[in-house]
Amino acid sequence: MSAEDTSGQTAGPLRIATVVVVLMAALFPLYWMFVTSLTPSAALFSVPPRVVPDLTQWSVYAEAFFEIPVRVWLINSAIVAGGTTVLSLGLAIFPAYALSRFRFAGKGPFALGLFATQMLPEAMLVVPLYAIFGQLHLLNTLVGLILANTAFAVPVITWILKGAIDGVPTEIEEAARVDGCSRITIVLSIVLPLVAPSLAAAAVIAFFHGWNEYVFAQTLISDDKLRTASVGLAGFVGELSTPVHSVMAVGIIYTLPAVIFYLFVQRFIVAGMIAGSVKG
Amino acid sequence: MSKTASGPARKPRHDDPRWLPYLFAGPLAVYLLLFQVYPLVQEAILSLTQTSLLSPQKHAFIGLENYQDLIDGGDFGSALAITGIYTVACVGLAIGFGLLAALLLDSPFRGRGVARALVTIPWAAPPVAVALVFTWIFNSQYGVFNYALRSLGFAAGKENWLDTPGLALPAILLTTIWQIFPFAAVVILSALQGVSSELREAAVIDGADKLSVFKAVVWPTIKPSVTLLSLFLTIWSLRRFDLIWLMTQGGPVGATNTLVIELYRQGFVYRQLGAAAAVGMVGLVIALAITLVYFRATRRDELARGEH
Repeated sequence: MSAEDTSGQTAGPLRIATVVVVLMAALFPLYWMFVTSLTPSAALFSVPPRVVPDLTQWSVYAEAFFEIPVRVWLINSAIVAGGTTVLSLGLAIFPAYALSRFRFAGKGPFALGLFATQMLPEAMLVVPLYAIFGQLHLLNTLVGLILANTAFAVPVITWILKGAIDGVPTEIEEAARVDGCSRITIVLSIVLPLVAPSLAAAAVIAFFHGWNEYVFAQTLISDDKLRTASVGLAGFVGELSTPVHSVMAVGIIYTLPAVIFYLFVQRFIVAGMIAGSVKG
Repeated sequence: MSKTASGPARKPRHDDPRWLPYLFAGPLAVYLLLFQVYPLVQEAILSLTQTSLLSPQKHAFIGLENYQDLIDGGDFGSALAITGIYTVACVGLAIGFGLLAALLLDSPFRGRGVARALVTIPWAAPPVAVALVFTWIFNSQYGVFNYALRSLGFAAGKENWLDTPGLALPAILLTTIWQIFPFAAVVILSALQGVSSELREAAVIDGADKLSVFKAVVWPTIKPSVTLLSLFLTIWSLRRFDLIWLMTQGGPVGATNTLVIELYRQGFVYRQLGAAAAVGMVGLVIALAITLVYFRATRRDELARGEH
Protein backbone atom coordinates (compact mmCIF):
# COMPACT_ATOMS: atom_id res chain seq x y z
CA MET A 1 0.00 0.00 0.00
CA SER A 2 2.60 2.46 1.02
CA ALA A 3 5.86 3.82 -0.28
CA GLU A 4 9.12 2.05 -0.83
CA ASP A 5 7.76 -1.44 -1.21
CA THR A 6 10.77 -2.01 -3.42
CA SER A 7 13.24 -1.58 -0.61
CA GLY A 8 11.63 -4.28 1.47
CA GLN A 9 8.81 -4.30 3.96
CA THR A 10 10.65 -2.66 6.80
CA ALA A 11 12.63 0.53 6.79
CA GLY A 12 16.39 0.33 6.77
CA PRO A 13 18.62 1.62 9.55
CA LEU A 14 19.45 4.77 7.57
CA ARG A 15 15.78 5.67 7.33
CA ILE A 16 15.22 4.99 11.03
CA ALA A 17 18.22 7.16 11.87
CA THR A 18 16.84 9.99 9.73
CA VAL A 19 13.45 9.70 11.41
CA VAL A 20 15.14 9.94 14.80
CA VAL A 21 17.06 13.07 13.74
CA VAL A 22 13.87 14.72 12.45
CA LEU A 23 12.01 13.89 15.66
CA MET A 24 14.85 15.20 17.81
CA ALA A 25 14.85 18.46 15.87
CA ALA A 26 11.08 18.72 16.25
CA LEU A 27 11.10 18.02 19.97
CA PHE A 28 14.31 19.65 21.12
CA PRO A 29 13.13 23.23 21.77
CA LEU A 30 10.24 22.13 23.98
CA TYR A 31 12.50 19.57 25.64
CA TRP A 32 14.93 22.40 26.30
CA MET A 33 12.18 24.49 27.84
CA PHE A 34 11.41 21.55 30.11
CA VAL A 35 15.07 20.91 31.03
CA THR A 36 15.61 24.58 31.81
CA SER A 37 12.53 24.63 34.02
CA LEU A 38 14.02 21.79 36.05
CA THR A 39 17.52 23.20 36.32
CA PRO A 40 18.67 24.44 39.76
CA SER A 41 19.24 28.22 39.79
CA ALA A 42 22.97 27.72 40.38
CA ALA A 43 23.29 25.74 37.16
CA LEU A 44 21.15 27.99 34.93
CA PHE A 45 24.09 29.91 33.51
CA SER A 46 26.66 27.16 33.70
CA VAL A 47 28.74 26.14 30.72
CA PRO A 48 28.34 23.44 29.55
CA PRO A 49 24.59 23.63 30.22
CA ARG A 50 22.69 20.84 31.93
CA VAL A 51 21.13 18.67 29.25
CA VAL A 52 18.94 16.49 31.45
CA PRO A 53 16.22 17.69 33.81
CA ASP A 54 16.96 17.62 37.53
CA LEU A 55 13.94 15.73 38.79
CA THR A 56 14.39 17.00 42.33
CA GLN A 57 13.43 20.48 41.14
CA TRP A 58 9.68 20.05 40.70
CA SER A 59 9.06 22.66 43.38
CA VAL A 60 9.96 25.27 40.74
CA TYR A 61 6.53 24.71 39.28
CA ALA A 62 4.84 25.56 42.57
CA GLU A 63 7.20 28.47 43.23
CA ALA A 64 6.53 29.93 39.80
CA PHE A 65 2.97 30.52 40.93
CA PHE A 66 4.26 32.77 43.71
CA GLU A 67 6.86 34.62 41.69
CA ILE A 68 4.68 35.26 38.69
CA PRO A 69 0.92 36.00 38.72
CA VAL A 70 0.39 32.96 36.55
CA ARG A 71 -2.89 31.88 38.04
CA VAL A 72 -4.73 35.04 37.03
CA TRP A 73 -3.17 34.91 33.56
CA LEU A 74 -4.12 31.32 32.96
CA ILE A 75 -7.69 31.88 34.16
CA ASN A 76 -8.04 34.92 31.87
CA SER A 77 -6.62 32.98 28.94
CA ALA A 78 -8.98 30.09 29.64
CA ILE A 79 -11.98 32.45 29.74
CA VAL A 80 -10.96 34.10 26.48
CA ALA A 81 -10.25 30.74 24.83
CA GLY A 82 -13.48 29.17 26.08
CA GLY A 83 -15.56 32.15 24.98
CA THR A 84 -13.88 32.17 21.57
CA THR A 85 -14.65 28.46 21.18
CA VAL A 86 -18.34 28.70 22.07
CA LEU A 87 -18.96 31.79 19.97
CA SER A 88 -16.96 30.51 16.99
CA LEU A 89 -18.72 27.15 16.89
CA GLY A 90 -22.10 28.82 17.36
CA LEU A 91 -21.40 31.13 14.44
CA ALA A 92 -19.78 28.53 12.17
CA ILE A 93 -22.01 25.44 12.19
CA PHE A 94 -24.98 26.67 10.15
CA PRO A 95 -22.96 28.63 7.56
CA ALA A 96 -20.75 25.56 7.10
CA TYR A 97 -23.85 23.51 6.40
CA ALA A 98 -25.20 26.14 4.02
CA LEU A 99 -21.88 26.25 2.12
CA SER A 100 -21.89 22.48 1.81
CA ARG A 101 -25.54 21.85 0.91
CA PHE A 102 -27.23 24.93 -0.54
CA ARG A 103 -26.88 26.92 -3.71
CA PHE A 104 -27.68 30.55 -3.14
CA ALA A 105 -26.94 33.94 -4.61
CA GLY A 106 -23.85 35.38 -2.93
CA LYS A 107 -22.41 32.00 -1.98
CA GLY A 108 -19.26 32.52 -4.03
CA PRO A 109 -18.40 35.95 -2.58
CA PHE A 110 -19.20 34.63 0.91
CA ALA A 111 -16.82 31.68 0.52
CA LEU A 112 -14.17 33.94 -0.99
CA GLY A 113 -14.60 36.43 1.84
CA LEU A 114 -14.02 33.68 4.38
CA PHE A 115 -10.77 32.78 2.69
CA ALA A 116 -9.72 36.42 2.32
CA THR A 117 -9.83 36.94 6.10
CA GLN A 118 -6.78 34.67 6.28
CA MET A 119 -4.77 37.50 4.74
CA LEU A 120 -5.58 40.12 7.36
CA PRO A 121 -2.93 40.54 10.04
CA GLU A 122 -4.42 41.19 13.47
CA ALA A 123 -2.03 44.12 13.83
CA MET A 124 -3.72 45.79 10.88
CA LEU A 125 -7.19 45.83 12.47
CA VAL A 126 -6.06 46.76 15.97
CA VAL A 127 -6.60 50.48 15.55
CA PRO A 128 -10.12 50.39 14.04
CA LEU A 129 -11.18 47.65 16.46
CA TYR A 130 -9.86 49.75 19.33
CA ALA A 131 -12.13 52.58 18.18
CA ILE A 132 -15.14 50.28 17.71
CA PHE A 133 -14.68 48.64 21.11
CA GLY A 134 -14.28 52.05 22.67
CA GLN A 135 -17.74 53.00 21.44
CA LEU A 136 -19.20 49.68 22.58
CA HIS A 137 -17.54 50.02 26.01
CA LEU A 138 -15.70 46.76 25.43
CA LEU A 139 -12.14 48.03 25.84
CA ASN A 140 -10.39 46.39 28.74
CA THR A 141 -12.89 43.54 28.86
CA LEU A 142 -12.38 39.87 28.14
CA VAL A 143 -15.64 39.96 26.15
CA GLY A 144 -14.03 42.39 23.71
CA LEU A 145 -11.09 40.04 23.34
CA ILE A 146 -13.43 37.12 22.70
CA LEU A 147 -15.26 39.09 19.99
CA ALA A 148 -12.02 40.07 18.25
CA ASN A 149 -10.53 36.57 18.43
CA THR A 150 -13.70 34.96 17.14
CA ALA A 151 -13.60 37.14 14.03
CA PHE A 152 -10.20 35.61 13.20
CA ALA A 153 -10.91 32.03 14.31
CA VAL A 154 -14.34 31.52 12.79
CA PRO A 155 -13.47 31.49 9.05
CA VAL A 156 -11.02 28.56 9.35
CA ILE A 157 -13.50 26.67 11.48
CA THR A 158 -16.32 27.22 9.03
CA TRP A 159 -14.04 25.92 6.30
CA ILE A 160 -13.13 22.77 8.23
CA LEU A 161 -16.75 22.01 9.15
CA LYS A 162 -17.83 22.58 5.56
CA GLY A 163 -15.24 20.04 4.41
CA ALA A 164 -16.49 17.54 6.99
CA ILE A 165 -20.17 18.03 6.10
CA ASP A 166 -19.28 17.51 2.41
CA GLY A 167 -18.38 13.96 3.43
CA VAL A 168 -21.78 13.18 4.93
CA PRO A 169 -24.03 11.41 2.36
CA THR A 170 -27.23 13.35 1.71
CA GLU A 171 -29.36 10.16 1.77
CA ILE A 172 -29.16 10.14 5.54
CA GLU A 173 -30.72 13.57 5.63
CA GLU A 174 -33.34 12.73 3.01
CA ALA A 175 -34.76 9.99 5.19
CA ALA A 176 -35.14 12.39 8.10
CA ARG A 177 -36.75 14.97 5.87
CA VAL A 178 -39.35 12.49 4.70
CA ASP A 179 -40.13 12.01 8.38
CA GLY A 180 -40.80 15.73 8.58
CA CYS A 181 -37.68 16.95 10.40
CA SER A 182 -36.75 20.58 9.82
CA ARG A 183 -33.34 21.51 8.45
CA ILE A 184 -32.30 22.90 11.80
CA THR A 185 -33.17 19.63 13.53
CA ILE A 186 -31.31 17.72 10.84
CA VAL A 187 -28.18 19.82 11.27
CA LEU A 188 -28.18 19.58 15.04
CA SER A 189 -29.26 16.00 15.58
CA ILE A 190 -28.07 14.15 12.46
CA VAL A 191 -25.22 16.00 10.75
CA LEU A 192 -23.34 17.27 13.81
CA PRO A 193 -22.98 13.84 15.48
CA LEU A 194 -21.64 12.48 12.19
CA VAL A 195 -18.93 15.13 11.98
CA ALA A 196 -18.07 14.96 15.68
CA PRO A 197 -14.30 14.48 15.13
CA SER A 198 -14.11 17.57 12.93
CA LEU A 199 -16.25 19.45 15.42
CA ALA A 200 -13.72 18.53 18.10
CA ALA A 201 -10.90 19.67 15.83
CA ALA A 202 -12.70 22.95 15.20
CA ALA A 203 -13.19 23.44 18.93
CA VAL A 204 -9.49 22.85 19.57
CA ILE A 205 -8.50 25.35 16.86
CA ALA A 206 -10.83 28.00 18.27
CA PHE A 207 -9.76 27.37 21.85
CA PHE A 208 -6.06 27.65 21.14
CA HIS A 209 -6.54 30.58 18.82
CA GLY A 210 -7.89 32.41 21.84
CA TRP A 211 -5.28 30.87 24.14
CA ASN A 212 -2.35 31.85 21.89
CA GLU A 213 -3.51 35.24 20.67
CA TYR A 214 -1.12 38.06 21.54
CA VAL A 215 -1.70 41.28 19.56
CA PHE A 216 -5.25 42.03 20.68
CA ALA A 217 -4.59 40.94 24.25
CA GLN A 218 -1.63 43.30 24.29
CA THR A 219 -3.42 46.32 22.82
CA LEU A 220 -7.08 46.06 23.85
CA ILE A 221 -6.37 45.23 27.50
CA SER A 222 -4.48 47.50 29.87
CA ASP A 223 -5.82 46.28 33.22
CA ASP A 224 -3.28 43.98 34.92
CA LYS A 225 -6.07 41.88 36.40
CA LEU A 226 -7.26 41.03 32.88
CA ARG A 227 -3.84 40.17 31.47
CA THR A 228 -3.66 36.92 29.53
CA ALA A 229 -0.88 34.36 29.70
CA SER A 230 0.35 35.18 26.19
CA VAL A 231 0.95 38.82 27.12
CA GLY A 232 2.31 37.93 30.54
CA LEU A 233 4.80 35.45 29.14
CA ALA A 234 5.75 37.77 26.29
CA GLY A 235 7.08 40.15 28.93
CA PHE A 236 9.74 37.60 29.83
CA VAL A 237 11.10 36.99 26.33
CA GLY A 238 14.82 37.72 26.31
CA GLU A 239 14.77 38.83 29.92
CA LEU A 240 17.04 37.16 32.49
CA SER A 241 16.30 39.00 35.74
CA THR A 242 13.33 36.81 36.64
CA PRO A 243 14.63 33.30 37.36
CA VAL A 244 14.79 31.63 33.96
CA HIS A 245 13.64 28.27 35.30
CA SER A 246 10.46 29.84 36.71
CA VAL A 247 9.72 31.52 33.40
CA MET A 248 10.30 28.28 31.51
CA ALA A 249 8.08 26.42 33.98
CA VAL A 250 5.29 28.86 33.21
CA GLY A 251 6.07 28.38 29.52
CA ILE A 252 5.61 24.63 29.92
CA ILE A 253 2.33 25.04 31.80
CA TYR A 254 1.15 27.37 29.04
CA THR A 255 2.32 25.13 26.17
CA LEU A 256 1.37 21.67 27.36
CA PRO A 257 -2.43 21.90 26.97
CA ALA A 258 -2.07 23.12 23.37
CA VAL A 259 0.32 20.33 22.44
CA ILE A 260 -1.78 17.61 24.03
CA PHE A 261 -5.08 18.69 22.51
CA TYR A 262 -3.61 19.19 19.05
CA LEU A 263 -2.14 15.68 19.13
CA PHE A 264 -5.65 14.28 19.33
CA VAL A 265 -7.21 16.28 16.53
CA GLN A 266 -4.51 17.33 14.06
CA ARG A 267 -5.53 14.61 11.61
CA PHE A 268 -8.99 16.12 11.22
CA ILE A 269 -7.69 19.67 10.97
CA VAL A 270 -5.53 18.95 7.98
CA ALA A 271 -8.08 16.69 6.32
CA GLY A 272 -10.72 19.40 6.71
CA MET A 273 -8.62 22.32 5.53
CA ILE A 274 -7.39 20.58 2.43
CA ALA A 275 -10.66 18.84 1.56
CA GLY A 276 -12.60 22.05 2.10
CA SER A 277 -10.30 24.01 -0.17
CA VAL A 278 -9.24 21.60 -2.90
CA LYS A 279 -12.82 20.72 -3.68
CA GLY A 280 -14.05 24.19 -2.68
CA MET B 1 -21.72 4.16 -2.95
CA SER B 2 -22.78 7.68 -3.78
CA LYS B 3 -24.21 6.71 -7.17
CA THR B 4 -27.78 6.91 -5.98
CA ALA B 5 -27.22 10.35 -4.56
CA SER B 6 -26.28 11.92 -7.87
CA GLY B 7 -28.59 9.80 -10.03
CA PRO B 8 -31.56 11.20 -11.92
CA ALA B 9 -34.03 9.63 -9.47
CA ARG B 10 -32.97 12.08 -6.76
CA LYS B 11 -35.88 13.85 -5.15
CA PRO B 12 -36.24 17.57 -5.74
CA ARG B 13 -35.57 19.74 -2.74
CA HIS B 14 -39.02 19.86 -1.29
CA ASP B 15 -39.83 22.37 1.34
CA ASP B 16 -36.75 24.57 1.81
CA PRO B 17 -37.84 28.18 1.80
CA ARG B 18 -35.61 30.35 -0.37
CA TRP B 19 -34.46 32.43 2.55
CA LEU B 20 -33.14 29.42 4.47
CA PRO B 21 -29.51 29.70 3.24
CA TYR B 22 -29.50 33.34 4.29
CA LEU B 23 -30.86 32.47 7.71
CA PHE B 24 -28.02 29.94 8.03
CA ALA B 25 -25.17 32.07 6.68
CA GLY B 26 -26.50 35.48 7.64
CA PRO B 27 -25.35 35.79 11.25
CA LEU B 28 -21.76 34.92 10.37
CA ALA B 29 -21.82 37.29 7.39
CA VAL B 30 -23.05 40.11 9.63
CA TYR B 31 -20.45 39.27 12.28
CA LEU B 32 -17.61 39.37 9.78
CA LEU B 33 -18.95 42.57 8.22
CA LEU B 34 -18.89 44.16 11.66
CA PHE B 35 -15.53 42.88 12.92
CA GLN B 36 -13.51 42.36 9.74
CA VAL B 37 -14.89 44.30 6.79
CA TYR B 38 -15.93 47.47 8.62
CA PRO B 39 -12.57 47.82 10.45
CA LEU B 40 -10.81 47.10 7.16
CA VAL B 41 -12.70 49.92 5.46
CA GLN B 42 -11.84 52.18 8.42
CA GLU B 43 -8.21 51.20 7.99
CA ALA B 44 -8.34 51.98 4.26
CA ILE B 45 -9.75 55.42 5.03
CA LEU B 46 -7.18 55.91 7.77
CA SER B 47 -4.42 55.28 5.23
CA LEU B 48 -5.51 58.46 3.45
CA THR B 49 -5.15 60.59 6.55
CA GLN B 50 -2.55 61.88 8.90
CA THR B 51 -3.61 60.57 12.30
CA SER B 52 -1.65 60.37 15.51
CA LEU B 53 -1.98 57.53 17.99
CA LEU B 54 -2.17 60.20 20.67
CA SER B 55 -5.35 61.79 19.24
CA PRO B 56 -6.81 59.12 16.96
CA GLN B 57 -10.10 60.99 16.54
CA LYS B 58 -8.40 63.89 14.74
CA HIS B 59 -7.77 63.08 11.09
CA ALA B 60 -6.24 65.34 8.50
CA PHE B 61 -7.12 64.08 5.03
CA ILE B 62 -3.95 63.99 2.94
CA GLY B 63 -4.93 61.81 -0.02
CA LEU B 64 -2.23 59.42 -1.15
CA GLU B 65 0.58 61.19 0.68
CA ASN B 66 1.19 58.25 3.03
CA TYR B 67 1.67 55.97 0.04
CA GLN B 68 3.92 58.54 -1.62
CA ASP B 69 6.02 58.60 1.55
CA LEU B 70 6.35 54.83 1.44
CA ILE B 71 7.71 54.97 -2.09
CA ASP B 72 9.96 57.92 -1.34
CA GLY B 73 12.02 56.10 1.18
CA GLY B 74 12.35 55.26 4.80
CA ASP B 75 12.22 51.65 5.81
CA PHE B 76 9.47 50.54 3.48
CA GLY B 77 11.64 49.38 0.58
CA SER B 78 13.81 47.25 2.79
CA ALA B 79 10.73 45.94 4.62
CA LEU B 80 9.35 44.81 1.26
CA ALA B 81 12.61 43.06 0.41
CA ILE B 82 12.85 41.38 3.80
CA THR B 83 9.23 40.26 3.59
CA GLY B 84 10.00 38.75 0.19
CA ILE B 85 13.09 36.90 1.41
CA TYR B 86 11.35 35.76 4.59
CA THR B 87 8.25 34.52 2.77
CA VAL B 88 10.07 32.70 -0.02
CA ALA B 89 12.45 31.07 2.45
CA CYS B 90 9.63 30.07 4.81
CA VAL B 91 7.53 28.52 2.07
CA GLY B 92 10.40 26.82 0.27
CA LEU B 93 12.13 25.42 3.34
CA ALA B 94 8.93 24.42 5.13
CA ILE B 95 7.77 22.50 2.08
CA GLY B 96 11.22 21.00 1.56
CA PHE B 97 11.54 19.75 5.13
CA GLY B 98 7.84 18.89 5.23
CA LEU B 99 8.19 16.75 2.10
CA LEU B 100 11.25 15.04 3.51
CA ALA B 101 9.50 14.29 6.78
CA ALA B 102 6.35 13.13 5.00
CA LEU B 103 8.23 10.72 2.75
CA LEU B 104 10.10 9.38 5.78
CA LEU B 105 6.89 8.85 7.72
CA ASP B 106 4.92 7.40 4.81
CA SER B 107 6.69 4.05 4.66
CA PRO B 108 5.85 1.51 7.35
CA PHE B 109 8.13 1.00 10.34
CA ARG B 110 7.56 0.15 13.95
CA GLY B 111 6.43 3.18 15.90
CA ARG B 112 5.34 5.10 12.82
CA GLY B 113 2.08 6.24 14.42
CA VAL B 114 3.92 7.70 17.40
CA ALA B 115 6.50 9.35 15.13
CA ARG B 116 3.75 10.92 13.01
CA ALA B 117 2.10 12.35 16.11
CA LEU B 118 5.32 13.64 17.68
CA VAL B 119 6.52 15.44 14.56
CA THR B 120 3.43 17.67 14.61
CA ILE B 121 4.17 19.05 18.07
CA PRO B 122 6.01 22.23 16.99
CA TRP B 123 2.99 23.37 15.03
CA ALA B 124 0.82 23.14 18.15
CA ALA B 125 3.14 25.19 20.36
CA PRO B 126 1.89 28.73 21.09
CA PRO B 127 4.03 31.32 19.24
CA VAL B 128 4.71 33.28 22.42
CA ALA B 129 6.15 30.15 24.06
CA VAL B 130 8.20 29.46 20.94
CA ALA B 131 9.62 32.99 20.99
CA LEU B 132 10.38 32.57 24.68
CA VAL B 133 12.35 29.36 24.38
CA PHE B 134 14.12 30.17 21.12
CA THR B 135 15.31 33.50 22.49
CA TRP B 136 16.78 31.54 25.39
CA ILE B 137 18.29 28.96 23.03
CA PHE B 138 19.85 31.74 20.91
CA ASN B 139 21.21 33.63 23.94
CA SER B 140 24.79 34.57 23.09
CA GLN B 141 26.39 33.63 26.43
CA TYR B 142 24.21 30.92 27.91
CA GLY B 143 22.32 29.69 24.87
CA VAL B 144 22.53 26.02 23.97
CA PHE B 145 22.70 26.88 20.25
CA ASN B 146 26.05 28.61 20.61
CA TYR B 147 27.21 25.90 22.97
CA ALA B 148 26.40 23.27 20.35
CA LEU B 149 28.22 25.27 17.66
CA ARG B 150 31.29 25.65 19.88
CA SER B 151 31.25 21.95 20.70
CA LEU B 152 31.22 21.21 16.98
CA GLY B 153 34.22 23.52 16.54
CA PHE B 154 32.51 26.42 14.78
CA ALA B 155 33.95 29.89 15.33
CA ALA B 156 30.41 31.26 15.22
CA GLY B 157 29.79 29.86 18.70
CA LYS B 158 29.87 33.26 20.39
CA GLU B 159 27.54 35.15 18.13
CA ASN B 160 24.69 37.27 19.38
CA TRP B 161 22.22 35.75 16.93
CA LEU B 162 19.18 37.93 17.49
CA ASP B 163 21.21 41.13 17.77
CA THR B 164 23.50 40.87 14.75
CA PRO B 165 22.18 42.21 11.43
CA GLY B 166 23.33 39.32 9.24
CA LEU B 167 22.28 36.62 11.70
CA ALA B 168 18.92 37.73 13.03
CA LEU B 169 16.95 36.85 9.90
CA PRO B 170 18.45 33.34 9.65
CA ALA B 171 17.68 32.81 13.35
CA ILE B 172 14.09 33.99 12.87
CA LEU B 173 13.79 31.76 9.81
CA LEU B 174 15.08 28.74 11.69
CA THR B 175 12.51 29.37 14.43
CA THR B 176 9.67 29.88 11.97
CA ILE B 177 10.49 26.83 9.91
CA TRP B 178 10.75 24.73 13.04
CA GLN B 179 7.24 25.85 13.90
CA ILE B 180 5.57 25.42 10.49
CA PHE B 181 7.28 22.47 8.79
CA PRO B 182 5.09 19.94 10.68
CA PHE B 183 2.00 21.46 9.09
CA ALA B 184 3.55 20.95 5.65
CA ALA B 185 4.54 17.41 6.62
CA VAL B 186 1.04 16.44 7.73
CA VAL B 187 -0.60 17.95 4.64
CA ILE B 188 1.83 16.18 2.30
CA LEU B 189 1.53 12.95 4.27
CA SER B 190 -2.23 12.97 3.84
CA ALA B 191 -1.81 13.71 0.12
CA LEU B 192 0.59 10.77 -0.19
CA GLN B 193 -2.23 8.44 0.85
CA GLY B 194 -3.80 9.16 -2.54
CA VAL B 195 -0.80 7.87 -4.51
CA SER B 196 -1.82 4.79 -6.48
CA SER B 197 0.19 1.78 -5.39
CA GLU B 198 -0.56 0.00 -8.69
CA LEU B 199 0.96 2.83 -10.71
CA ARG B 200 3.94 2.91 -8.40
CA GLU B 201 4.50 -0.83 -8.68
CA ALA B 202 4.06 -0.70 -12.43
CA ALA B 203 6.71 1.99 -12.66
CA VAL B 204 9.06 -0.04 -10.48
CA ILE B 205 8.53 -3.15 -12.62
CA ASP B 206 9.35 -1.03 -15.66
CA GLY B 207 12.68 -0.39 -14.00
CA ALA B 208 12.16 3.19 -12.88
CA ASP B 209 14.47 4.42 -10.10
CA LYS B 210 13.12 6.15 -7.01
CA LEU B 211 13.51 9.66 -8.37
CA SER B 212 11.66 8.82 -11.59
CA VAL B 213 8.87 7.13 -9.63
CA PHE B 214 8.58 10.27 -7.54
CA LYS B 215 8.45 12.51 -10.59
CA ALA B 216 6.10 10.37 -12.63
CA VAL B 217 3.73 8.93 -10.04
CA VAL B 218 4.01 10.60 -6.65
CA TRP B 219 4.44 14.27 -7.57
CA PRO B 220 1.45 14.54 -9.96
CA THR B 221 -0.81 13.16 -7.21
CA ILE B 222 0.37 15.40 -4.40
CA LYS B 223 0.89 18.52 -6.51
CA PRO B 224 -2.57 20.08 -5.95
CA SER B 225 -2.17 19.72 -2.18
CA VAL B 226 1.37 21.07 -2.23
CA THR B 227 0.28 24.05 -4.33
CA LEU B 228 -2.55 24.86 -1.96
CA LEU B 229 -0.21 24.35 0.98
CA SER B 230 2.23 26.84 -0.51
CA LEU B 231 -0.58 29.38 -0.79
CA PHE B 232 -1.51 28.96 2.88
CA LEU B 233 2.15 29.14 3.97
CA THR B 234 2.70 32.26 1.85
CA ILE B 235 -0.28 34.10 3.28
CA TRP B 236 0.59 33.11 6.82
CA SER B 237 4.20 34.19 6.37
CA LEU B 238 3.10 37.57 5.05
CA ARG B 239 1.07 38.20 8.20
CA ARG B 240 3.22 36.52 10.87
CA PHE B 241 3.78 38.89 13.75
CA ASP B 242 4.17 37.39 17.24
CA LEU B 243 7.34 35.37 16.68
CA ILE B 244 9.27 38.13 14.93
CA TRP B 245 8.08 40.97 17.10
CA LEU B 246 8.85 39.17 20.34
CA MET B 247 12.26 37.91 19.24
CA THR B 248 13.69 40.99 17.48
CA GLN B 249 11.07 43.78 17.18
CA GLY B 250 12.13 43.88 13.54
CA GLY B 251 15.74 44.68 14.40
CA PRO B 252 18.63 44.89 14.61
CA VAL B 253 18.66 47.92 12.30
CA GLY B 254 15.64 46.63 10.43
CA ALA B 255 17.18 43.26 9.55
CA THR B 256 13.96 41.39 10.36
CA ASN B 257 11.56 44.25 9.66
CA THR B 258 8.79 42.61 7.63
CA LEU B 259 5.73 44.53 6.46
CA VAL B 260 3.59 43.59 9.45
CA ILE B 261 6.36 44.58 11.85
CA GLU B 262 6.79 47.85 9.94
CA LEU B 263 3.03 48.40 10.19
CA TYR B 264 3.13 47.90 13.94
CA ARG B 265 6.19 50.11 14.37
CA GLN B 266 4.64 52.93 12.34
CA GLY B 267 1.49 52.74 14.43
CA PHE B 268 2.70 52.03 17.92
CA VAL B 269 6.31 53.22 18.00
CA TYR B 270 6.15 56.25 15.69
CA ARG B 271 2.43 56.75 16.45
CA GLN B 272 1.59 57.42 12.79
CA LEU B 273 -1.69 55.57 12.34
CA GLY B 274 -2.16 56.79 8.77
CA ALA B 275 1.26 55.62 7.65
CA ALA B 276 0.73 52.29 9.46
CA ALA B 277 -2.56 51.78 7.64
CA ALA B 278 -0.88 52.48 4.31
CA VAL B 279 1.74 49.79 5.00
CA GLY B 280 -1.06 47.39 5.91
CA MET B 281 -2.99 48.11 2.72
CA VAL B 282 0.09 47.45 0.58
CA GLY B 283 0.64 44.13 2.37
CA LEU B 284 -2.97 43.17 1.83
CA VAL B 285 -2.82 44.00 -1.88
CA ILE B 286 0.29 41.80 -2.20
CA ALA B 287 -1.48 38.90 -0.47
CA LEU B 288 -4.55 39.35 -2.69
CA ALA B 289 -2.41 39.46 -5.83
CA ILE B 290 -0.62 36.23 -4.87
CA THR B 291 -3.95 34.53 -4.16
CA LEU B 292 -5.31 35.66 -7.51
CA VAL B 293 -2.27 34.30 -9.33
CA TYR B 294 -2.70 31.02 -7.45
CA PHE B 295 -6.35 30.63 -8.41
CA ARG B 296 -5.61 31.50 -12.04
CA ALA B 297 -2.77 29.00 -12.18
CA THR B 298 -4.78 26.17 -10.66
CA ARG B 299 -7.69 26.93 -12.96
CA ARG B 300 -5.32 26.70 -15.93
CA ASP B 301 -3.94 23.42 -14.58
CA GLU B 302 -7.43 21.99 -14.27
CA LEU B 303 -8.27 23.07 -17.81
CA ALA B 304 -5.07 21.52 -19.09
CA ARG B 305 -5.97 18.23 -17.45
CA GLY B 306 -9.44 18.37 -18.94
CA GLU B 307 -11.28 18.79 -15.67
CA HIS B 308 -14.26 21.12 -15.37
